Amino acid sequence: MFTVLADTFPSWYKLDIGSWFDRLIPLLVVRFGWLFDRVTQDLLWVLNGLERLIDLVPWWVQVLVVFVLGWRATRKLGRGSLYAALLVLVGLLGLWEEMNQTLAIVVASVALSLVIGLPFGILTANSRRLTAGLRPLLDAMQTMPTFVYLIPAVMFFGLGKVPAVIATTIYAVPPVVRLTSHAIEQVDLEVVEAGRAFGASRLQLLFKVQIPQALPTIMQGINQTTMMAVSMIVTCSMIGARGLGLEVITAINRLEMGRGFTSGLAIVIVAVLIDRLTQGWYRRGPKLEEGRP
Amino acid sequence: MTAALLQVQGLTKIFGHGLEQARRLLAGGCGKDEIFRRTGATLAADDVSFEVREGETFVLIGLSGSGKSTVVRCLNLLHRPTAGRILIAGRDILGYRREELLELRRRRMAMVFQSFGLMSHRNLLDNVAFGLEIRGEAKAARHAKALQAIDLVGLSGQEGSRIDALSGGMKQRVGLARALANDPDVLLMDEPFSALDPIVRRDMQAELLKIQARVKKTIVFITHDINEAFKLGDTIAIMKDGRIVQCGSPEDILYRPATPYVQEFVRDIDKGQALSAWHVLRRLPLPAARPGGGQTEVGDGDFAFVLDEAGHLLGWSRQGGRGPAAAVAVLTPAVTVDTPLRELLPLLVEGRFADPIAITDGSGAFQGYTTGNAVLQALV
Amino acid sequence: MNKHCQYALAGCFGLALLIVPGCSTSKAPAGQAKVIKFDEVGWDSIRFHNAVARLIVEKAYGYKTEEVSGSTPITYPALKKGDIDVLMEMWTDNVPTYDKDIAAKELMELGVNFKDDAQGVYVPRYVIQGDAKRGIKPMAPDLRKVADLAKYKTVFADPETPGKGRLYGAIPGWNIDKVLHKKYLHLGLDKTFTYFSPGSDAALAAAFTAAYEKGKPIAGYYWEPTWLTGKYDLVRLGDEPYNAATFNDGIGDIPSVRVTIVATNSLAQRAPEVVEFLKQYSTSSELTAAALAYMYETKADYAATAKWFLQKHPELWAKWLPADKAALVQASLK
Repeated sequence: MFTVLADTFPSWYKLDIGSWFDRLIPLLVVRFGWLFDRVTQDLLWVLNGLERLIDLVPWWVQVLVVFVLGWRATRKLGRGSLYAALLVLVGLLGLWEEMNQTLAIVVASVALSLVIGLPFGILTANSRRLTAGLRPLLDAMQTMPTFVYLIPAVMFFGLGKVPAVIATTIYAVPPVVRLTSHAIEQVDLEVVEAGRAFGASRLQLLFKVQIPQALPTIMQGINQTTMMAVSMIVTCSMIGARGLGLEVITAINRLEMGRGFTSGLAIVIVAVLIDRLTQGWYRRGPKLEEGRP
Repeated sequence: MTAALLQVQGLTKIFGHGLEQARRLLAGGCGKDEIFRRTGATLAADDVSFEVREGETFVLIGLSGSGKSTVVRCLNLLHRPTAGRILIAGRDILGYRREELLELRRRRMAMVFQSFGLMSHRNLLDNVAFGLEIRGEAKAARHAKALQAIDLVGLSGQEGSRIDALSGGMKQRVGLARALANDPDVLLMDEPFSALDPIVRRDMQAELLKIQARVKKTIVFITHDINEAFKLGDTIAIMKDGRIVQCGSPEDILYRPATPYVQEFVRDIDKGQALSAWHVLRRLPLPAARPGGGQTEVGDGDFAFVLDEAGHLLGWSRQGGRGPAAAVAVLTPAVTVDTPLRELLPLLVEGRFADPIAITDGSGAFQGYTTGNAVLQALV
Repeated sequence: MNKHCQYALAGCFGLALLIVPGCSTSKAPAGQAKVIKFDEVGWDSIRFHNAVARLIVEKAYGYKTEEVSGSTPITYPALKKGDIDVLMEMWTDNVPTYDKDIAAKELMELGVNFKDDAQGVYVPRYVIQGDAKRGIKPMAPDLRKVADLAKYKTVFADPETPGKGRLYGAIPGWNIDKVLHKKYLHLGLDKTFTYFSPGSDAALAAAFTAAYEKGKPIAGYYWEPTWLTGKYDLVRLGDEPYNAATFNDGIGDIPSVRVTIVATNSLAQRAPEVVEFLKQYSTSSELTAAALAYMYETKADYAATAKWFLQKHPELWAKWLPADKAALVQASLK
């Protein structure tokens, strides 16, 4: 009777959620296999196409593109050259193809995150109810250990690119939603009032006033999302996604520290390049017609 | 008497939760503080009523928290009133459906904001054309109208500028141009010059008067500056704690304050600026125009004035002195009815205190005169 | 931040740097000499054996025991150093330096845990023979050896690489993965199949589970004893006869591995009776698989499964212990 007041949590009653989950997953796998297969096929079609697209681009064109983007983002020739040189370094390390494979997954995940996250971010802006309702879901998506939903994902979608993209998207969507919502809510109140005072409908207000004004912060959200997608690279390789991550865990499993360092370095370079190049967009802000000041 | 374009009747606005209870307390006669203490709701506007005639500048003035910003935002339903009616051209806009409200805002009303409310992602021209874009006008048409408005506020040639590059005064001109481009019936201006430097503010006030002379808009103007109110307003309404304390012409407010609060409020007024020669004018009966009639003489018990056939002043003399021809002197500079009293003061020094100051209308035709005594009395 | 704040912060930092290393547990204080650390390298059979051994060591010899988790490449050096004491399942083919280390007396090999295990390329039985009860027709009826896979590339189609089949490899980094990959190349399967690295054993198990539940074909590396091979009916594909000389080049079958029990040298001084016990410890792949199947069916945890196992096979472990110690264990099983 007094065991309730003992030091350790009383163990005579255990809440068994786990076995319910254990029974649910195989059931879903069998019952809805056809649905998941369809989704897998569609996603794979997109992903394979994306990879083939990236493969089509010759390596020196990729380097040139990075050079130009870097230069335009920072207005400094030196920076553009630096970024291009870093990219060439990845090639010199012998990891060019792996980088492209990783890039395909990151790009696909970010695109999917934006497609899902931006509308939700817009919907939750200025809606306290929706924000409160979504918050626990977003928190879970960001903090639940990835392997917990990764393994069911493998059961539903097989190994490889598809569950990798799905898992990365789950992890990367919350920043887009949160920052987009925040950005829209932070727009100067008088600017929004001005929009309303001149008779803008809700849609006009959203697309002509709020979103353009919120764009710099929204771009920040996109930058964060991209970084989170990059941070998932190694985890994705644990479910068979090819690329730099697979190099890393192979090296770890064989205690080949040199190889681990090399592939880790490549991941750092990819992350830094993506971060700097996407940052350049939001710091410059949306384009304006320049006139005499 | 021009018709009332805008009529506000019993406008009341309560912010916050506990609306029902607040309403009941209000009906029971509780004031703003009491209601706030008991429900946490804010009584921003309490039974506000006024009328604005077409073409007049109606100024709502009060301290922070007096409710003036709330009232002006109710006029285009940015805030929805808790009670009352708002009639524009006789129709109660509170009954408008969503589409009618949007049309009201797009065509009949426009607003100018204290912090300008401009959109940094658009250039100057697109900001001015914003209202026109909202109501669906084609690019060429709205650009043309916008350029006209830009010209009206004196910013021609700057259409391509970025908003960030503009000074405060220029930004507010853009705000004004945006409102005017819509060609609204009613212009709502919420403390439009309060965020500007004093010199820029003065320039903008003069600019507004100039523009008003050209377009003759109906304006509801919010300010907390009594001098601004007097300079710009045809009718002034003073607000305190959500209620209108007094509403009338500038002279009513100044010379016949309804409460000690109003008196206190106008105490700081710069009379030298707010009052003009018009307020101290002693009118004289003017002779009928007689073409080819030669000189005429008008006067009262103190002075006599000689006018030419166009009605312009040729000279004056003191009554009781030697005949009209005894002292012919022309007073310069010409003082018109609009000249602020302050500018009359230099004319009183150098021993000319006892002399009359002739006052003409805008075209130079003699209207009457005033004395140093009268000027000083008015200034006190 | 003013100068005072900066100094205070730097001081805290320095203090932390001094204190934290001292908290490391690499130097066990004297009172902990009685804790024996068991290596847990990530798969369920070793967790089971750890549970059995720990139960006996605790009840018969009164030592406290602990499990330390970590993959083989990471825990193997710790074993040599003495930070971990016992590894119940040393798959001797997995660490290339193993034989050298034993010969150089860097570690003690205490005996063979089991040697009837298996590794190789597995497919579900219904792929070859069909399954009338589930309504599955045979999809690859002539599949006997690994080389036969080439005929069935459409059956095992790889969704990511159209036109090729998919062969799941072993866990990247395991030695057997290198061998399997070489085999794949040697048999010319690279023309018809992709070699798909699953990334982790959890993912590999998930892939097999999903395919089996759906009745779909799958071909890939797996090993016994595991709960997967215990639960599902998987068939190991044959190969050319085992040849020690060519094995590492991928030619020839994969032999059973001697799975030994390995301990760090210092354990002989600290707990000699435990070392004696472990030298006697011996099971089989069949027994292990049965225990894992039991565990999977009843959802028991490892400790409960160990108890069940000992209760079921008293003749087995009686040989491992002197009579008085055996009695102690018997008593605790009641």
